[in-house]
Amino acid sequence: MNKYYKKWFWALVLPSLLLFILVILVPFLLGIFYSFTGYKGTFFLKDRVATDNPFQAMVGLENYEKAFNNESFQHAFLYTVKFTIIAVVVINLLALILAILITNIKGLANLFKTIFFMPNLLGGLALGFIWQFIFEVIFTKFFFGKDGLVPIDFLTNMTQGPIKPLFALVILVAWQMTGYMMIIFITGLNNIPEELYEAAEIDGAGAFRKFKDITLPMLMPSITIVFFLTLANCFKLLDQNVALTNGAFNTRLLALQILKTPSDYLIPDYGQAQAQAVIFFIVIALITLLQVYFTKKKEVEM
Amino acid sequence: MKKIISSVIKYIILIFLAIYTLAPLVFLFINSFKSQDEIDTSAMALPHNWDLKYIVSAMRDIHFFKALLITVLVTVLSVGIIVLVSAFSAWMLVRNNNKVSKFLLLLFISAMLIPFQSLMYPLIDMADKIHLKNIFGLIFMYGGFGLSLSIFLYHGFIKSISKSIEEAAIIDGANIFQIFFHVVMPLLRPTTITVIILNAMWIWNDYLLPFLVLANSDAKTLTLELYFAKMQASQYGNPWELIFPAVLISIVPVIIVYVFLQKYIIKGISDGAVK
Repeated sequence: MNKYYKKWFWALVLPSLLLFILVILVPFLLGIFYSFTGYKGTFFLKDRVATDNPFQAMVGLENYEKAFNNESFQHAFLYTVKFTIIAVVVINLLALILAILITNIKGLANLFKTIFFMPNLLGGLALGFIWQFIFEVIFTKFFFGKDGLVPIDFLTNMTQGPIKPLFALVILVAWQMTGYMMIIFITGLNNIPEELYEAAEIDGAGAFRKFKDITLPMLMPSITIVFFLTLANCFKLLDQNVALTNGAFNTRLLALQILKTPSDYLIPDYGQAQAQAVIFFIVIALITLLQVYFTKKKEVEM
Repeated sequence: MKKIISSVIKYIILIFLAIYTLAPLVFLFINSFKSQDEIDTSAMALPHNWDLKYIVSAMRDIHFFKALLITVLVTVLSVGIIVLVSAFSAWMLVRNNNKVSKFLLLLFISAMLIPFQSLMYPLIDMADKIHLKNIFGLIFMYGGFGLSLSIFLYHGFIKSISKSIEEAAIIDGANIFQIFFHVVMPLLRPTTITVIILNAMWIWNDYLLPFLVLANSDAKTLTLELYFAKMQASQYGNPWELIFPAVLISIVPVIIVYVFLQKYIIKGISDGAVK
């Protein structure tokens, strides 16, 4: 039997292996290599000499030096970290609250699930356009402006200025992602055996004790998943950033920064963009490896 | 009594949040039938008359039917490729349990560490050189990017199913493709649904890859058409009477699919995350 599977092994693995090598492995390795060259997109440049041969345009760590000294890259990095921290906290809390509420009601639970999940179906770009309108017109003119229902200056013109767009993006992303994470939490909550709660009730535990000593520990696997999923998604966010401000008012997140770096220069600086992308990769890889580490650790404990 | 009050409070919070979740979509809908002036003065009201002319002109501007066809084609073919090749490899990787298999699995899965940004420029260069900056290239690329997660999901599931039925089929003289399509694939159905949903949702709405691959071509996906419509409309200063109907018609197909398949979609999401 095993011989039979062995005979077909390479024939059936080859299609995905080829796709993988051509679409991911080769471009990825080339990308790392190009980050050490004077990569300008269609040609390579070193000491004002243009060439087609990347080996003649090796510039060492120059692109990395440029990237680290590039103020807009520094700003995008910090901005991404700030945005990610706030968004992760907001989304995780909201999703957990929604999941607990929904698993605790008798009727209409499915209807609420359907509604809360709906924004996830739509692309970040389309949603970003709708929210741009909400921030610029609905919030500013009708709700929170001087003549609005409740004048709150902070909630007007949220796509402009140094601080507000960060929170506008958090509002948009939380509105979109919470439903997805809620679904994962609901699955986790439904997997907690009912007997645990019954036993705790007999022992006279209140709602808070039950939450702290049963729900939270039993929910840890789901919390790990949701935490890292939101962390990675927020850190890599692009579409919503493009749609809401497209980088105006210093609002570039890292993904948009890498996309726009070439056109920041007269001769498109793909080499520096590629160096930024390699730094970006290292951070993402660390986040993902941490997730694997924590998930494995949990499995051992259980 | 205490129970009733707490239950009422729960419903009130949920209803409030449901309204909050739906409100942007309601704004989108009612403003898709208004002129720019009417949007500016009464964005929150129902339209004076349900004028379809903005929807019609948006359909023309974003080449709706062509873009829809292209998006469907790209999504269906990409997901088809992903399902087929990942199921093939995952099956073989499980059934041939040796060092090579373990190495290949690790290689496939480790690609999940790589963000798209770190390989996009070389990838597009390569595609340009071999004349694949077109729909075929796009489908091919999605095939590659969808592999890792899909092989991971299939691999986890196939590990848990016994190979005795397959072996019986081999003894009966079935060939490898008969075994795959008649014995293995039916068993993999739950995972296949998850793989289809996760990949289709992402590919349908993706903006960056079509932007890099198709920006200069005539064949654009819905998301890409929407992007260019917005860029163009912003220059004329009256964007919303074009953008709202364009966004609306571009999301209607997704909403329709959701209404019919929501049970599978929600189950697919939770299955996909837990593994």
